[in-house]
This record gives sequence, structure tokens and C-alpha cells, in this order.
Amino acid sequence: MSSDSTLFSNRWLPVLLVAPMMLLIALFFYVPIFQAFYWSFFLERPFGGGSEFVGLDNFARVLADPEFWKAGWRTIIFMVTASSLAVLVPLILAVAADRKIRLSLPARNVLVWPKGVAGASIGVVFAFIFNPFVGILAPLNSIFPGIWAPGINGTDAFITLIAAHVWGGIPFNFVILLAGLQSIPRTMHQAAAMDGAGPWRRIFDVQLPLIMPQLFLTLVLEFTESVTSAFALIDTITNGGPGGATTLLVYKIYMDGFSGYDLSGASTQTAILMVFVIILTAAQFIFLGRRVNYER
Amino acid sequence: MVENARSLNIIASLILVVGMIYILGPLYLTLSTASQSYEFMLRNGLAWYPGDQFLANMASIFTETRIPIQMLNSMVVAFSNAAATCVLSFLSAYAIVYFRIRWAGVVFALILATIMLPLDIRVITTYQVASNIFSPLNAVLDATGLNGLIAGIFGTPVQLELSVLNTHFGLVAPLVAHGTGTFLFRQFFLTLPKDLFKAARMDGAGPTRFLFDILLPLSRTSFAALFVLTFLSGWTQYLWPLVGASTPDMQTAVVGLARLVPDSDGQVPDFPMIMAGAVIVSIIPLAMIALLQRYLVQGLVLSEK
Amino acid sequence: MNAIDTAIRAAAADIKLIGVTKAYDAQTVVIPPMDVELRAGEFTVVLGPSGCGKSTLLQMIAGLERVSDGKIMVGGREVQDLEPKRRGCAMVFQNYALYPHMTVFENMAYSLKVAGVRKAERAARVAAVARMLALSDYLTRKPGQLSGGQRQRVAIGRAIVREPNVLLFDEPLSNLDAQLRHDMRVELSELHRRIGATSIFVTHDQVEAMTLADRILILNKGRIEQFDTPKAIYHHPASVFVAKFIGAPPMNILPVTGDGSVLRLADGQIVAEARLTGSYQLGIRPEDIIVGIKADGHAVRAVLRFREDLGSHSVLAADLAGSVIRIATPFGADLINQPELFLNLPAARLHLFDAETGRATCRAFAAQ
Repeated sequence: MSSDSTLFSNRWLPVLLVAPMMLLIALFFYVPIFQAFYWSFFLERPFGGGSEFVGLDNFARVLADPEFWKAGWRTIIFMVTASSLAVLVPLILAVAADRKIRLSLPARNVLVWPKGVAGASIGVVFAFIFNPFVGILAPLNSIFPGIWAPGINGTDAFITLIAAHVWGGIPFNFVILLAGLQSIPRTMHQAAAMDGAGPWRRIFDVQLPLIMPQLFLTLVLEFTESVTSAFALIDTITNGGPGGATTLLVYKIYMDGFSGYDLSGASTQTAILMVFVIILTAAQFIFLGRRVNYER
Repeated sequence: MVENARSLNIIASLILVVGMIYILGPLYLTLSTASQSYEFMLRNGLAWYPGDQFLANMASIFTETRIPIQMLNSMVVAFSNAAATCVLSFLSAYAIVYFRIRWAGVVFALILATIMLPLDIRVITTYQVASNIFSPLNAVLDATGLNGLIAGIFGTPVQLELSVLNTHFGLVAPLVAHGTGTFLFRQFFLTLPKDLFKAARMDGAGPTRFLFDILLPLSRTSFAALFVLTFLSGWTQYLWPLVGASTPDMQTAVVGLARLVPDSDGQVPDFPMIMAGAVIVSIIPLAMIALLQRYLVQGLVLSEK
Repeated sequence: MNAIDTAIRAAAADIKLIGVTKAYDAQTVVIPPMDVELRAGEFTVVLGPSGCGKSTLLQMIAGLERVSDGKIMVGGREVQDLEPKRRGCAMVFQNYALYPHMTVFENMAYSLKVAGVRKAERAARVAAVARMLALSDYLTRKPGQLSGGQRQRVAIGRAIVREPNVLLFDEPLSNLDAQLRHDMRVELSELHRRIGATSIFVTHDQVEAMTLADRILILNKGRIEQFDTPKAIYHHPASVFVAKFIGAPPMNILPVTGDGSVLRLADGQIVAEARLTGSYQLGIRPEDIIVGIKADGHAVRAVLRFREDLGSHSVLAADLAGSVIRIATPFGADLINQPELFLNLPAARLHLFDAETGRATCRAFAAQ
């Protein structure tokens, strides 16, 4: 709102109103972020053993660790494959559900159900369903021994993670993209039909270009989401295995911090991951964001 | 429209069928396996059809695991998360939109930034803060030299300590420190006609009156949408409750369920019982989605705009 | 006629609707069976209140709605089962429906691109239309950067670039302000004269209808009330509905009874001589009433309620036999303080409608 005199002009009331939220956010968001960067310059001993300023030593140590680079690389691979699938699959479903067909209504209902299932719960379920001995692919294994072995084969484990991630990501992306499709005015379809474009062609010439803002938004959020939400899935499906093949950065940070008690290392990696996420988000806004906004 | 869209409609139907199988398949297999015995599962693998052991598996969840009490924790966490987020977000959005304050933009940006870096990324240091929520205060006192002064006068520096780990407050508070709710309410307030505010002021309504008589009644659906959204989010949290609660009796049901799966690779776990656990843990949020779907969808759409 | 005009001059087609019906179910019939014939190159305005089915009618011709029954013939070809693109129709939408992600050029060229027209020809045809509509300077802009009037032109350009046999307009001027609307009306008439496509223009605005149409088709609840030239519709309305719909202020309608020699108002005053018996509705346009301040001849007595001064003329409202009657009159300062008026209703200007059906009866006064 502009500087119109119609706004309330109390001095302390608004402070009081935002205070509780700001206090929580300061304490549990900004302090931890500050602390992660702060600690990355100190060598922190666990159990209150004091700390010592070490400059960039922590960064040197982390960056020299091949495990860090491997985890970082896996994070990027997971981010790109999982999040593009987690947008593409709901996109296809949304385009289908946008049509006036009988299955559209039940599908709109069913496709939001995963929102109610925790990542860890679906992880437990997928770990069972894709279990090589009793799961859905067990019969296949008895014919071709070893063809499905997420416990040994890193790729199989990765696929399981992605399948579970996409499953859990459907509701949000589906709802957003479908809402975008449904906000396209009916006359836009009619105009395109008058111009000679059939239903298939309209998907690519009209519908997809017009939901670019929604598509962009889901992709940006999905990138951040895939970096973090993977934790629950990894912890319940693969435990980072086999042989570290599914140890993404979030999982490595957790293991280093809570199992290895390497607080400085974990903080340093947290700081790096945060910078990465911020740069990535900013880059998406700069390179993609400008092109997708237009007045309707 | 007069046109032949049969090919497209048939393919769209097929896609939706596949999509629904993808979503419902795992849920069905969970349910059917939960109704079979351990021996059945060992012999046949996963169950394609339901058996008669459902109640038995449920019973063992209730008698042999902590999931019942953990369900209570989940309930407390999810409900408090939803209620606190709704109230605090509403108040801060109210201040940002309806008061003439110069710092409104800055505060809003500070709140909105929380969306970019989720809790899971900053879990290590959030844990440290939660282990002593006065640590920032202590650090400030140390850094500014005030503590030296205090030590000089009282003989000892101030070192306050309060851990919220392993408490319900500690499980909930970091979840509430999130900007989606404020964003949602702000967007909603901005869609309301400005004349509404002017008319209320002409009628002599002050901030409190305007809040209770006009804004609150109008925001009912936004509240419902945000409530459903944050309740589900609180219920399905994993990493934070995993580290924020150290005893099984404080953990949430989702964490408890994940702990049911043994870490060792020895024998095949008792999947039917675990699946029964998964059913119990997911039944409340799923029922919520079935009943309050309208608000959930609205919340998802609103949180985007 | 210059080169541009011949380049985009379309072959106009005549349109025949034979028993065309639109019904969603037995209860909700939007358009009962309708027969109508539009001549090739004619500009027809479909006029009616909202919900009268005029947009539905247009969309059925365009192929955006299915007909429930009946035939639509365009240029002698049965089209009711054809897809929109195969009917030779183009349409200008109420909210323009321009593609926001395409430039003005791309918007206009899209139909040609879909039809597989080669790039060079596309460019040439869009350029020709853009010149005609004064859009040449805006071809690289997106619709969001244009004013309302410019968007309107792009929407028209997109429609005519395909050289359609039939041009359909769905209330295209309703989003413009008054001045622009007037300018666009003039431009549209001009345009129609130049490209000559059979045009159907849907509106609820009688001024648009009167100024644009060769013939006006007035719809009421899906039925044709009258289909005639603007002049005929104004001077010889076929029903009370048409009489009240056209003209501002609308025609006055008064209940009268005939006793075989004269027509009397509800309060017994005689308004006209006529050899009619029974109940009728008598119509007279506000501007046809002659106002006097003294009783003479068949003048009827009315009581002035209020007057609105519109500058060029005044509109008086008066009580007459229990009804309110409106009179349009040139300035008459002497009337201001006169509560009692004597109104002369010239017999040649009276319209008589059936009391039950509201349809115009035979010219009862023509002989006099």
C-alpha cells in the first residue's frame, strides 16, 4: 500500500503484532544461519570443549575431502533428475485432468493424497515394495538373479529414491499446475480453435506457454525441495547406501554432525549448501524469471 | 466445441489411470500387506490381496511399540504448529499490510526469506540453538563486553541456559518460524477492497475492532486452508523431530514408524506389522485430506500466488 | 479500391439456419428451433438482452457450441458437424482473447501458421492487414503493451487475415470507453464496406445495432422477435418487446380498450378513433408526442412529474391514466411551472399491439 493516510498509524502496536513471529524466526532461522557461517571459521570441539578460530581451515578441509565432492555431485544429479521428473509427471497429469473427461474428478481427488503421507512413511513403504527379496520386483529377481538389487547396486537405490520423491511431490505441483491450466480463459481455447489449432496443438501453443509462471514456480520450489526432502527418504530407504551411493549432502551433514560429532565440518558444509541453494534460486530468477511474466 | 478430441481424451484417461495407480498402488499394497501374517509374507512376498491378520498386526503395534503415545505427540505437534502458525502469521501480516510503518517491507522480506532455506538444511545449528535458546543472548553479552562488566560487579558473568530439546515446544517452534503463512495472509489482505478499510475507519473502527469485526470473519477460509496445510506439514515432519526428541516417548509417530525398521540387514523385517504401523500413522492426515480437500487445494494454490 | 483491399477481400457466403436448436435438457431450452437466412455480404446485428441466447447462436455458427438439432448452411455447405476451422468463419471475441505470449505479428499470423501457409506469404498478408488497421508500428509488441483500442484492432486483424467468408463478432466493443467505442463503430462499418465478408455482430447495445446493421435480428428468450432493417425496426416494431427495446427513452406502452369507435385509456380518456373492440396495448414514441398546455381535440390530460434537461432536448415524465408516460420535447421554458399537460398523440404515430401476445396488430390507423 502506498503512503495513503488511511493506514493505521499506531507506533507500538504493529511492533507487538510482528514480535512473536519475528522472535521465532530470528531465533530458529537467522541465528542458526549465522551460526553455521560463524562456526565454519572455528574448530568446535563437541561436548563444550571450547572453540578456536581457524580461518579458512574448515573450508580447506571440507573442499579437500573427496567424499564431500561426491555427495555434492550426487545432490546435483538427484536435484536435476528428481525435480524435473517431479514437475514433468504432475504436468502431464494436470494437462490430462484439465480435460473434461469422466476420470478427471476422481483423479483430482486421489492425486493430492500423498500430501498426507510423510516422506518417511512412504520411504518405509517403498523400501518394502522395492525390497529385492519380498517386494514387487522379487519375482523378476528369481528369473534374472541380481537384476534388481538396490542393496548392492547404487543406481537401483537411486531409482527407488526418485520414485518415492516424485510420488510425494505430485500433490503440490499437480494442484498448482492444474490451477494454472484452469485459469486460462475459455475464450483463449476458442480463439485458438477458430484459428485452426486442434486440441493437441493447443497444448503446446497455448496451454504450456500460458502456465509458464506456474511451471517456473514449481521448478524453483522443487529444486530446493529436492535438496532437503531427500533426507527422510534416504534415512528410511537406503541409509545412504549402498557404499555411499545415495549419500546426498543433507544426509552427509546429518551423519557428520550427529554421528561423527564433527560440528565444524557439518557447519561448513551447511554454509556451502546454503550458499549453493541461494545462488541457484537467484540464478533461476535471473535467467528464467524474466521471460515468463506477461500480462494477461 | 465441435471437434474430434477422442484420441487426446483416450490418452488423457489412460494417463490419469496410470497416475492413480501410481498413487494408490503403494497405499493398497501397504493395506493388503498389513492384513497378512509374517509367515505369509515370507512365503509369498508382498501381498496382492488382503488377508485376515489386520487386527492382529494392529494389536501388536498398539502393544509392542510406542506408536500410540507417539501418535499423541504427532497430534500435539501438528495441532500446535497449525494453530501457532495461523495466529502468528495472521498478526504479522496484519501489521505489515494495515499499519503505516516504514520497516514493513524489510520485515516482510526477512519473513519471506525463510522459504528459501528449509529447516532440513540448517538442522545442525538449529539443534544447537534449541539446546540452549539463550545462547544467542549469552553470545551477545560476551561479544559486547557487557558480560565483563557484569562479572566485575557481580563476580560472575551471566550464562543463562534453557534447552527446549525433547519438549513439545522445541519440536514445534522451529516449524512455526516459517514465512508461508504470513505470505498467504498478506496476499489475501491485498485482494480485499481498500474501500473496506476506509469504510471501517469512517465508521470509527480502531485496529482491534477492525481486526475482530471485519478481517477475522473474512479470513475464515484462509485460516482453514493454512490450518490444514500446516497441520499436514507438522504431522509429516521427519528430520527435526528425529533430532529434536531424544526419548521414544517424545518422538512423533512418523519417526517411531521409521525406527520400527531394523537397521541391520539380517533377517527380513516384520513388514506386515510395519505396514500396519504405516496405516495407523497415515490414517489421520489422509482422513483430513479426504474431508477437507477443498481447503487443502485452496491452501496450496494460495501459498503460491 | 486499392491493392490492399483486393488482397484481403473475402468471398462472402450466405448463411442459412434451418431448425437450429440448442437445449441442454428438456427443461433448459436456450434456443427453440430457429429458421433464418442471412444474405451474402450482409452485416447482421443480433440484438437482445443478456441471456437471450445471442452468444449461443453465434457460437453455434462458429462451431464452438454444438447444435442440438437442425442444420447450419454456410455458402450452401452443411457445416453444423464441422470443426470451427473448416467453416470459413473467423471471430472477434469480447475480451479479445489475444495470445499474451505472442507478439502482435505472431497473434495475427498464428492461424496462417497452423494452416501451413509459407512464411513469406504469412508476412505479406499480416503486413497488408496491419497497414489497413494502422498496426504496422506495433507488430513486435506483446498484447500487454497495447491500449484497449489497439488490442481490439489486433483482434480484428487476426480475424480478417485469414480472409474468412464469415466474420463473427461477440460484443467486441463492450470493453471500450464511450469515445473509443464510437470510433471503432465507424471503423468497423468502413472495414465491412472494404472487405465485404458476411458479418454477424452480437450486442446488447441498440446504438451499435442501429448504426452498424444492414438488418437487425432481435432475440428474446431464444426466439426471433423481429428481423428487419434498423429503420423498419424503429418505425414498425413487430412486438411490445421490440418497441421497448429500441429507442431511448423507450416507446411508451399504455393499455387501451376499444368500443368499436374509439380507443380509451384506463381512466376513460379518448386517445384515438378506431373501429376496434377489446383490449390492446397502445405504443407511442416519446418524441412523437406533441405537448400543449390547453385542451384541444383528442388531447389527453396528464400530470407532470419531473423533467430532465438533456441540453438538446428535455424528457418529461408524466402520469397518464395510472401509467408513467415519457415525452421527449425541444426546450419549452413555459412548461416548467405547468403541472397539467395536454398531450396530443398523432394517430399516424400510434402503434397497436395485441394485449395478450404483445405482437403488433394490423395497421389499425393506416387508413385514417
